[in-house]
Amino acid sequence: MRTKQEYLIRYKDGNLYCELADIWIDPSKPVKKALITHAHFDHFTFGCEEYISTKETAILLKERVGDNIKIKTFEYGEEFKINGITISFHPSGHILGSSQIRFIFAEEKWLISGDFKLQKDETCKQYEIVKTDYLISECTFGLPIFKWDESNKIANDISKWITNSPEKTSLLFCYSLGKAQRLLNEISQTNFKGNIYSHGSIHKMNNSYRELGIDIKDTIKIENKRKIDELKGSLILLPPSLSKGSYLKNFKNIQTAFASGWMSIRALRKRSGYDKGFAISDHADWDGILEVVKKSEAKNVFFHHGDREALSKYLVEKESINVLLFGK
Amino acid sequence: MSLKKFSELFGDLDSINSTNNKIAVLKNYFLSNDPIDNAWAIYLLTGKSNKRFISGRYLKNLFSQIYEYPQWLIDTCYLKVGDSAEVITLLLKNKTNSRKKKLSNISLNELLSEIIPALSKLNEEEKNLEIKNLWETLPEDNHLIFNKILTGTFRVGVSIGLITKSISKLINIDEEIISHRLMGDFKPSIDSYEFLINKNINLQELNSKPFPFLLANTIEDKIFENSINDFQFEWKYDGIRMQLIKRSGNVSLWTRGQELVNESFPELVEKMSHIKDDFVLDGELLVWNFKEQIAFDFSLLQKRINRKSPTRTIQIKYPIIFIAYDLLEINGRDIREIKLENRRIELEKYFSKWQIKTENNISDIFKICDLIFPKDWPDALTYKEKSRENNTEGLIIKKKTSIYSSGRKKGIWWKYKVDPMQLDAVLIYAKGGSGRRAGLYTDYSFALWKDKELIKFASAYSGLTNIEIKELDKWIRKNTIEKFGPVRSLKPEMVFEISFEKIQISNRHKSGIAVRFPRITKWRKDKKINDADTLENAYELMKKIS
Repeated sequence: MRTKQEYLIRYKDGNLYCELADIWIDPSKPVKKALITHAHFDHFTFGCEEYISTKETAILLKERVGDNIKIKTFEYGEEFKINGITISFHPSGHILGSSQIRFIFAEEKWLISGDFKLQKDETCKQYEIVKTDYLISECTFGLPIFKWDESNKIANDISKWITNSPEKTSLLFCYSLGKAQRLLNEISQTNFKGNIYSHGSIHKMNNSYRELGIDIKDTIKIENKRKIDELKGSLILLPPSLSKGSYLKNFKNIQTAFASGWMSIRALRKRSGYDKGFAISDHADWDGILEVVKKSEAKNVFFHHGDREALSKYLVEKESINVLLFGK
Repeated sequence: MSLKKFSELFGDLDSINSTNNKIAVLKNYFLSNDPIDNAWAIYLLTGKSNKRFISGRYLKNLFSQIYEYPQWLIDTCYLKVGDSAEVITLLLKNKTNSRKKKLSNISLNELLSEIIPALSKLNEEEKNLEIKNLWETLPEDNHLIFNKILTGTFRVGVSIGLITKSISKLINIDEEIISHRLMGDFKPSIDSYEFLINKNINLQELNSKPFPFLLANTIEDKIFENSINDFQFEWKYDGIRMQLIKRSGNVSLWTRGQELVNESFPELVEKMSHIKDDFVLDGELLVWNFKEQIAFDFSLLQKRINRKSPTRTIQIKYPIIFIAYDLLEINGRDIREIKLENRRIELEKYFSKWQIKTENNISDIFKICDLIFPKDWPDALTYKEKSRENNTEGLIIKKKTSIYSSGRKKGIWWKYKVDPMQLDAVLIYAKGGSGRRAGLYTDYSFALWKDKELIKFASAYSGLTNIEIKELDKWIRKNTIEKFGPVRSLKPEMVFEISFEKIQISNRHKSGIAVRFPRITKWRKDKKINDADTLENAYELMKKIS
């Protein structure tokens, strides 16, 4: 077995790093060259000399942080070379533009899953199965208690939740990028036909999605001084950061909910402080992770972001897959 | 009606915070379901059925066996979820491909009156097979309810009071009447439900109704400007506040929480029924130390509260007393509008009459509260400080001219509580919580200094806000020295102010002391561990008290 330093990709200062190409993946501190899997802020940091991503990710990032960053873009599946290493992006199904990244060097394939899901999502490209020798996978929901319902079932639950309380204003908290657009897409196919408002940060992302050719239902940008009566029976999408504090005072007679995979656990639901939780996630559930591990045909797997101990032990015991641990 | 409806009701009650909405949902359920399912729903929601058919451990083992899941994986999941019934429910979702059978649509009644009772008659092998079969044929959204009932852990944030309110609203009849009907042995039957929603009120029900309780406020400084002679002083007992009602021969015991508790205290009901007069008394129920004439700890009373029809042995082991503070009604005459000092005269007059005239001796279970007569306010303070000696919580101070109105009315009754005892201690261990605190470290152990060593002296899990719990949880994960199963030993760094009610010698603890009701009252971020108290300080505190 090789030492850690001899792996093509390894953990360095808490980030994924490929020494041969001197390139970082979603680094949390400024570096020279950074590959970006998708445009969520926990995968992006300012100050890198050069960013490389898919075209969609680049557009979304610039929309969020401004044009002042230097990004090189590639299409899904398009191969490019850095120091003799062949690199390519592949759809990961997490949000619009999100990608897995494959490295090929000396006939050895490495795949970084990025954040991914297998579930249906009409607002982004479906996860693509990519074969590899080494797989580095996220495992945010790496326990068998996580098993997602179909997203149209969740959307119908949301629709019922709103229409059952016609006197109330329903505030649904969700991440501005990705989750919000997926929810809008799903909810527009339910029986709920009332008004949908969205917070500025979400509104902006909706527009970007539309510009990138994704059909997102039109929503009304929420202004602070809306008439209370006008909001009765309607749905308002807000980012989770606004759930605490004085922002909620802008509304009267509200019910609140949070859309997140964590809401599948009753204790977390109760502790979250929201009235209701909808368990919908843009990450893979347990079965999803196992499927990707199997179909990738990887002989060696690394996990990060989540409960990796249980998942690793399970794969070693039950599936005889070699699971390796990163030294952080 | 299907079990699905009840699952939905459970989900709604679980996610709705507003009382009014909960009532609306309940009302709606009662209106749209069969009487027998309604009866079962009430039975479950009022916690009358917490019988455990199988343990959570058994359920987890069974799942592990059937679906070849490693036990350790289920245990890891449990740490995240904190409830065996829910873990299995979530894991079952992953097993939908093994559901080849046709789904069965059963009612709550069928589940509880046929299927589950039948389970307990089977041998282990048959029982396991049947549970597997039910898991595979019950619709997915019934699993949680099924598993919870099996493991006797069905609980939801609904009080008896809320059920009472919903039914009261449903049929437009006073809550007290519904309480009376819900009292005791509510059987999950059509008859019980029809009786519950009967619009005709009988006389006995009317006669049982208590008055709204009058409550005391926390002491205010301005009271000390008044003459001490304007007030009546009583000990503040730590028992169950209660109205003892006897009308037309029937005795009812009502707690302040609108609960009728006749069945828990049958000896009191029996004795009081011998008194010739009718009356309504306001007082306190206690487990009483007759030798020293003081109350026993509240913990002993707890052994009586939740036990219906206590055996003679229990009655002797935990002897109760009702201490009357006030007389509110006598022989049908409502006297709440006359002044407290005059009501007291009546109370004393009738009490002596009852003592002499009642056939059975009543003084071994009933007395009126002794009054205290401080000469001035500093003297009242001395009494208050002495209250620990007779196991009371301090003083109740009542304006002699006060009429018995209702609620926490300002400016007439006050509680003057003795301060809790406090020590600053160092956090040394943390353990994961369960239930809604699952996945967080919420059970803490605290230590005091002995020379240069930290000795554990108390465990506490209440007193921090949710935000503080989260913050501390984060700190705990970063500052763990060692893990022993669910327990982590921690870097001694955090100091907390721990309050408690009682301190005594104990051979069972390494520290040599035991404290009662320890709780966190302040996170002393301003203190370093060297500022924490020593065991010596604790011993001094103990000396000071005794």
